[in-house]
Amino acid sequence: MLMTLRVKFTKEGYLKYISHLDMMRLFDRAFRRGNIPIRYSQGFNPQPKLSIANPLALGIESQEEFMDIELSERIPETDFIDIMNKELPEGIRIIDVKYVDDKRIVSSIVGWSYYEIKVKVNNMEDLDSLQYSIDRWLRNTEILLERTRYKKGKEIKDIKNIRPLIGNVTIDRNDENLKKDNGYVLRLYCLLKSNDSGNLKPTDFLKAFKEYTGFDMDIEMADIKRLNMYTDVDGSIQSPM
Amino acid sequence: MLILYLVQMKRWLEMIDKNSFDRVLKKVEKPARYIGMEKNSIKKDLQKADIKFAFGFPDVYEVGMSHLGLHILYNLLNKEDYIACERVFAPWADMEKEMRKEGIPLFTLESREPVKSFDFVGFTLQYEMSYTNIINMLDLGDIPIYSKDRKDNDPLVIAGGPCAYNPEPIADFIDFFVIGEAEEILLDIMAIYKKFKSNRYKKIEFLKEVSKLEGVYVPQFYDIFYKEDNTIDRMEPIVEGAPKVVRKRIIKELDKSYYPEKIIVPFIETVHDRIPLEIFRGCTRGCRFCQAGMIYRPVREKTVDTLTELAERLVNSTGYGDISLTSLSSCDYSQIKLLVSELIDNYKEKQIGVSLPSLRLDSFSLEILKEIEKIRKTGLTFAPEAGSQRMRDVINKGVTEEDLETAVTYAFEEGWSTIKLYFMIGLPTETKADILGIKDLGYKVKNIFFSLPKEKRKGNLKITLSVSCFVPKPFTPFQWIGQNSIDEFYEKIKLLKKEIRDNKVTFNYHDPKISYLEAVLARGDRRLSKALFKAWELGCKFDGWSDFFDYNKWMEAFKASGIDPDFYALRKRNIDELLPWDFIDIGVDKEYLISEYEKAKDGTLTRDCRLGCNNCGINRSFLGGVC
Repeated sequence: MLMTLRVKFTKEGYLKYISHLDMMRLFDRAFRRGNIPIRYSQGFNPQPKLSIANPLALGIESQEEFMDIELSERIPETDFIDIMNKELPEGIRIIDVKYVDDKRIVSSIVGWSYYEIKVKVNNMEDLDSLQYSIDRWLRNTEILLERTRYKKGKEIKDIKNIRPLIGNVTIDRNDENLKKDNGYVLRLYCLLKSNDSGNLKPTDFLKAFKEYTGFDMDIEMADIKRLNMYTDVDGSIQSPM
Repeated sequence: MLILYLVQMKRWLEMIDKNSFDRVLKKVEKPARYIGMEKNSIKKDLQKADIKFAFGFPDVYEVGMSHLGLHILYNLLNKEDYIACERVFAPWADMEKEMRKEGIPLFTLESREPVKSFDFVGFTLQYEMSYTNIINMLDLGDIPIYSKDRKDNDPLVIAGGPCAYNPEPIADFIDFFVIGEAEEILLDIMAIYKKFKSNRYKKIEFLKEVSKLEGVYVPQFYDIFYKEDNTIDRMEPIVEGAPKVVRKRIIKELDKSYYPEKIIVPFIETVHDRIPLEIFRGCTRGCRFCQAGMIYRPVREKTVDTLTELAERLVNSTGYGDISLTSLSSCDYSQIKLLVSELIDNYKEKQIGVSLPSLRLDSFSLEILKEIEKIRKTGLTFAPEAGSQRMRDVINKGVTEEDLETAVTYAFEEGWSTIKLYFMIGLPTETKADILGIKDLGYKVKNIFFSLPKEKRKGNLKITLSVSCFVPKPFTPFQWIGQNSIDEFYEKIKLLKKEIRDNKVTFNYHDPKISYLEAVLARGDRRLSKALFKAWELGCKFDGWSDFFDYNKWMEAFKASGIDPDFYALRKRNIDELLPWDFIDIGVDKEYLISEYEKAKDGTLTRDCRLGCNNCGINRSFLGGVC
């Protein structure tokens, strides 16, 4: 009998600097310390059966991550949460778990991620016209972005239409504290595609946004947080939980 | 109100600025190197600690966290309520640049507090090539680099570890050294410091007090006089009570000595990402090039009971999936088979493996390996050290051609196909034939593989012959010999490169220039401190990393400080020369080292001490050592 536990967890604070591989190791060790009956893969190098949906890039926080793990025996949901939260570092909390009999693992059903981006813009006049301007931008059927990837040390450049990968973009207009040393700290919310068939990194989104707006901003210094992840069910988004 | 404000002000001054810290993390590679917060790391309220001890490892996080000594001493110190021990590593070059730009001083990982506010900054000296990192870390920490410039309110900068057996090259920077195993003495030192601190502390008085402890060396309490030929004439204590001979410290009952039950589990991958289970100290083999084999004598084992119990606690506290049985020669552990089978039985179900880091070229080792490696056939690594039997006899390696053939045949039959062999060139009395022996051995291994019936051969044969340049080390029978020159090394490498032409056999080698510098620093005297300082000023750091090492800068530094590096690396010493480290007593008699040196010259072997005492002196020096 296969038992799959779907786990919702956070990755916040300095733990954003832990890579996906580090996370896999961290969970493996926490399972072992907590005596969680996790199943291991067969073969020369047994690995715990866990799958994290759409791994975060280094430096991005999240208040909602998902993974599926396979257990060899059923343990009560609340026990799992209590044990694991004792073993995990502060920035990583298990917030919800559920046994699922869905044959598709969570990483294959997650389709969209909702991000909050805080970034300082030095040359922005006012906020009022920005939402209008963004809406106009998104009315384009094509938004082209040049991306640089590295394969075997070689630089590969490609140009891609990222418009289909952008769901919506809004700005937070009710923040009085936005103005900061001759610039704005802009707070953006965006829904971006995040699965195998199409994935837009928030930093790539920012790059396109920067090109469009002509904003003077340091993308490297942006604070990015994933707020939610969704599955796409017939055009409407739902929680994978 | 004002007092509260001042207290807060002080607190604020002590922590590094969070905004700057957050900014730099976004710009550097592997930011998790600097965040701390790992499982089992210990963060105490520094305000409440009587003694703040910064444990410094002069290399990058991933290297430092793989070092067992750090885990032992970190937990040992933190076990005491009145001590807070925190870690600090050398920031990688990108981090250093950002820190200097943002004005962030060197800080500890746990509380992110500048090391300058600590009572002690203790460095562990694992390899000579990390010395410039020590200087750089002090500078980044805003701590005066020279011991003489540090005042009563500056941290005490102390050092220990294997390189402290010749402390002289960094004598000018370090307030005192701890020679030998520090587990016991470190707490004694802390207790003395606590007493001094509560009663109008004066650095000089404290140093005088600790210099009376066995194993403590305070360089500023000694004057060195040189002869006209630049060799040492004499070393004289200039402070009353400073001992003429500094004797190393050892833990007599290792089985009962302190060992941590929790060790820090890093977030990021480190060099050794596993539970280090130290099974014994010392080594009985007596290889003549090996410093560890001499300085860590006598052999002291832990019992299987102690080890299995420790393993259980460490497994539960860390969750690691691998236990590494560490020592200088793990298959020599008297109960190795029992230990390995117990550990495997205990942890099979939890998917925890057991590994042996140091393997000898014999079938016994391979049998054990077969048991622990289950079915996984990862690469095998052996160190015959020399290519010819004659050369192996000179260094007392005690491995015969026959051992090798048996072991390799066995390995191939068991399904291994990737073999890496380590050698040294530049060993004393080496001839062209000895060098070519390296090639011959590689080819022989290849022939063994192909002489097996085809159905018995598994995988794709890959032999790597890895050659390093011999560096003579203090306290070995080879401490008197001159190292090969860089040109000689290159000649020998060229010869091997020319001769080794086979797509199954790969040849690689270490940079002779790095080995040359290592030889200078390993057998240097106090006068090298100024060259080290100069090299650091010129930008040298991370010298053990080939992408950082800058030979020309080092040569410039030697020139500017009037030092001839050949004097230290290449010169053959006379037996009666007073060596810079002769004031340290490792328990092994100098006469023994001399007799081993003599025996080496005609290739006479010395037996393994387990087969009978060779009378090196360690038994007389330290009661309780069982050889």
